[in-house]
Amino acid sequence: MTQHDDPDRDAAGEAPLDPREMLALIQGETTTVRRALGAQTPVYYFVWGIAWLVGYLVYWAGAPGSDSPITLPIVPAVIVFAALIVAAAAISTVVGIRSNRGIKGTSQWVGTIYGLSWPVMGIAIGMIGMGLIRQGMSIELATIYFTSSYALMVTALYLAGAAIWRSIDQLVIGLIIGVAATVTPSFGYPNNLLAMALIAGPALLAGGVIAIIRNRRA
Amino acid sequence: MDELDPVIHASARLRITASLAALDPGDRIAFPRLQELLGMTAGNLSTHLRKLEDADYVRVEKTHQGRTPVTYLNLTPAGRAAFETYTEQLRSLLGGELA
Repeated sequence: MTQHDDPDRDAAGEAPLDPREMLALIQGETTTVRRALGAQTPVYYFVWGIAWLVGYLVYWAGAPGSDSPITLPIVPAVIVFAALIVAAAAISTVVGIRSNRGIKGTSQWVGTIYGLSWPVMGIAIGMIGMGLIRQGMSIELATIYFTSSYALMVTALYLAGAAIWRSIDQLVIGLIIGVAATVTPSFGYPNNLLAMALIAGPALLAGGVIAIIRNRRA
Repeated sequence: MDELDPVIHASARLRITASLAALDPGDRIAFPRLQELLGMTAGNLSTHLRKLEDADYVRVEKTHQGRTPVTYLNLTPAGRAAFETYTEQLRSLLGGELA
């Protein structure tokens, strides 16, 4: 926020400044508003980057037959993985709602529909997976199905986000996660979990760093 | 060069107009959120908003969320056009050096 030398004059706000200062005011306010409304973007990337990198690594370390140097029991590993995903979803929801507070209109509509697309798609993928398991799909195949399907969901919604907000970052990360969704099944269970951790996790974390740099430059 | 628009050519009103112009044209912002973004007192913000509303640059929508009254604000097309013209005039005055 721009500061002025004379607080009384600034408090009244009637006095014009010289053109250079007025232009600086415009640029300052534009940046303030854009940062305030876009401040949540790096948070999404970081919480999901950590959830995917750490979560899938822990899941892989707990999976029977993994070559992990540190092996974990499967049940706690799955609980840690699920807790990280649930935490990331909860943080994203809170941050998304907070960033849009006090704003009504087009952005609210777009944000609400986009935000709700995640649980809608997530539940649909979960239910299809459960149906497949009931039809006899093994846990190994189900793990491959869930890992790739959720990554493909992220791809689809990141591509939609890139289209809505004209975000190159979302486009690139979405495509990288799309590649991860496509190639990880060929590593087989449980190495698909390791591959997903190592492709998607760093891509999201790099997105977070880039988003912070972009916000600072905005 | 035309005269700079006296409605916007005052630091507080320029800051308000610039903030509203940074929103999506289809969006409205609640008074408290705008106040928080600008760091202005409620009284000062109201005073300047009234002048912008009188000039038909800002639309003030008074509504209720439950029983709480809420005021939403957005630039009118005239306000957005005035802001763009003003910004262009400043840039021309400065010879495009800060463009």
